[in-house]
Amino acid sequence: MAPVLPLVLPLQPRIRLAQGLWLLSWLLALAGGLTLLCSGHLLVQLWHLGTFLAPSCPFAALPQVALAAGAVALGTGLVGAGASRASLDAAQYPPWRGVLGPLLVASTAGGGGLLVLALGLALALPGSLDIGLEEGLATALAHYKDTEVPGHCHAKRLLDELQLRYHCCGRHGYKDWFGIQWVSSRYLDPNDQDVVDRIQSNVEGLYLIDGVPFSCCNPHSPRPCLQSQLSDPHAHPLFDPRQPNLNLWDQGCHGVLLGQLQGLASTLGSMLAVTFVLQTLVLLGLRYLQTALEGLGGVINGEGETQGYLFPSGLKGMLKTAWLKGGVAHRPAPEEAPSLEAPPKEGLPEA
Amino acid sequence: MALLKVKFDQKKRVKLAQGLWLMNWLSVLAGVVIFSLGLFLKIELRKRSEVMNNSESHFVPNSLIGVGVLSCVFNSLAGKICYDALDPAKYAKWKPWLKSYLAVCVLFNIVLLLVALCCFLLRGSLESTLAHGLKNGMKYYRDTDTPGRCFMKKTIDMLQIEFKCCGNNGFRDWFEIQWISNRYLDFSSKEVKDRIKSNVDGRYLVDGVPFSCCNPSSPRPCIQYQLTNNSAHYSYDHQTEELNLWVHGCRAALLGYYSSLMNSMGAFTLLVWLFEVTITVGLRYLHTALEGVSNPEDPECESEGWLLEKSVPETWKAFLESLKKLGKSNQVDAQGADAGQAPEAG
Repeated sequence: MAPVLPLVLPLQPRIRLAQGLWLLSWLLALAGGLTLLCSGHLLVQLWHLGTFLAPSCPFAALPQVALAAGAVALGTGLVGAGASRASLDAAQYPPWRGVLGPLLVASTAGGGGLLVLALGLALALPGSLDIGLEEGLATALAHYKDTEVPGHCHAKRLLDELQLRYHCCGRHGYKDWFGIQWVSSRYLDPNDQDVVDRIQSNVEGLYLIDGVPFSCCNPHSPRPCLQSQLSDPHAHPLFDPRQPNLNLWDQGCHGVLLGQLQGLASTLGSMLAVTFVLQTLVLLGLRYLQTALEGLGGVINGEGETQGYLFPSGLKGMLKTAWLKGGVAHRPAPEEAPSLEAPPKEGLPEA
Repeated sequence: MALLKVKFDQKKRVKLAQGLWLMNWLSVLAGVVIFSLGLFLKIELRKRSEVMNNSESHFVPNSLIGVGVLSCVFNSLAGKICYDALDPAKYAKWKPWLKSYLAVCVLFNIVLLLVALCCFLLRGSLESTLAHGLKNGMKYYRDTDTPGRCFMKKTIDMLQIEFKCCGNNGFRDWFEIQWISNRYLDFSSKEVKDRIKSNVDGRYLVDGVPFSCCNPSSPRPCIQYQLTNNSAHYSYDHQTEELNLWVHGCRAALLGYYSSLMNSMGAFTLLVWLFEVTITVGLRYLHTALEGVSNPEDPECESEGWLLEKSVPETWKAFLESLKKLGKSNQVDAQGADAGQAPEAG
């Protein structure tokens, strides 16, 4: 059975391979570390914005999987650096011989799988952010007045802090506040005729006003903030409609949060792609180095040429070997036929 | 009788030199950290220089930056000296400079201690600068049309939101100044005319505050105007209402922020000072130990290291005498020149 993708590796190319692999492994470790940091940052952001994201939104899975993938990539990079460094030194290599095989399998399966999963999530999940944020913000706005209801008593403070920090107002604009009751009934005077009129003017009996909370105010405005009677152009003196309206923040919080989270997710996605490419290269290089050194019997400085390969035989051969190993029949294992592509070996390597 | 004598054999000398080399490079790192701390403090002071009337003193961050740079320079030099100390040939070229270098190190340590103490002691001047600056800032809050002051409103609003404070000492400071520009007042309204007539300066004073004083933790929507009028708002008592507005004044908030910054920087600088003193002492021992090697051909011999050759009062006496000699030698030269000239003339 022919080895899969063989490559002849005399001494000098072997050394070059080991050195290049060492460099690539450190790059992989760096990329893994950066992925870890990036996903950690995204997790912290999501934790802060937890109230404004609907609980059914699966977006939080992305940074968690990316965290695991980054950790595995970091580990693979460190292992690769150690192994390639050891392969250049005859005294250090023997302890690595036994471990390298299982480590490679674990890295490929675990790390590769996690990376592919994380990449898939990075492509698929940001779409669900839109709906998650819509629902989350709608709930937060609806509960703004419920400062005495257990479970929702922090909605007011969190929404005010969100609007102050991200410079936004309402879901898509300040008019969102006109459609909900954001003043708690506890602070409404039942004897006031204006209050009674407003409550009776709509079907649900809500106290709706054309005003916004203080956190929508824009400090860049040259005049003190106008928060109430915003639909009435005659209510405030000297209000010039031709001037750009700096009074309130004009962005909606939905747009701002969506942009920010999607930006973070795309950065994370590109980091994951780079890590994936580096990890593939490092694992391939390690496999070739391992099989080449196995061909020499674990002797590092052998002058002869050996072959590195990915798999000792094709898929059928591998399945057969696995079956034979597990099977009872005593049949000699199929011998390795020299590859047709490899040039004739120039003598056996000296011990 | 030498001060604090210690015997050194070859191995101990080598260990001392290696240990000092490592400590010097750690100290270079600490110098870099002090430099960046000074830079950070300078940037923070610059960021809020508008509310400090642009007259704040940059003495503390400047001195931290200077001390950080000096520490890097001196300690890398000392590291090089310690590295060369193990090789007699290389050490010979440093030998003549070492005594003056140690004197410079002692001076540097004194300067470092003074800078560390300054970090703790200079908050008083900051307090008065802040009080004046904030008062002016609030006065110019309404001048959003005046060039040069048009950003004061934005600065004060963002400051109150970020530091969770209101006014200079409290929210009542806003009652005493006119913070609403005349441009946005309807002078045909009776209420406006009454308010303006009610005080000598003709200012429009309200018992209200800007929106940036509002506390988001309040359970009710923010009450900004008619704060002292209980009947203007339902279920409101201005004497017991605590959560509506921020209670702290911005002067105390800013002062607390800068004080904690400077205190932690001062504490770190004190630690670095202790480290530097240890390094200087170690360098002095190395210097005297290497001087005491009696036979330069035999590097294995034992030698003694000390801090001062004689005890402290004797060293002080010798120092004063050398100063006097310096003065006397000038006199003797002058007299000798006169005496030389007199016989020639005579």
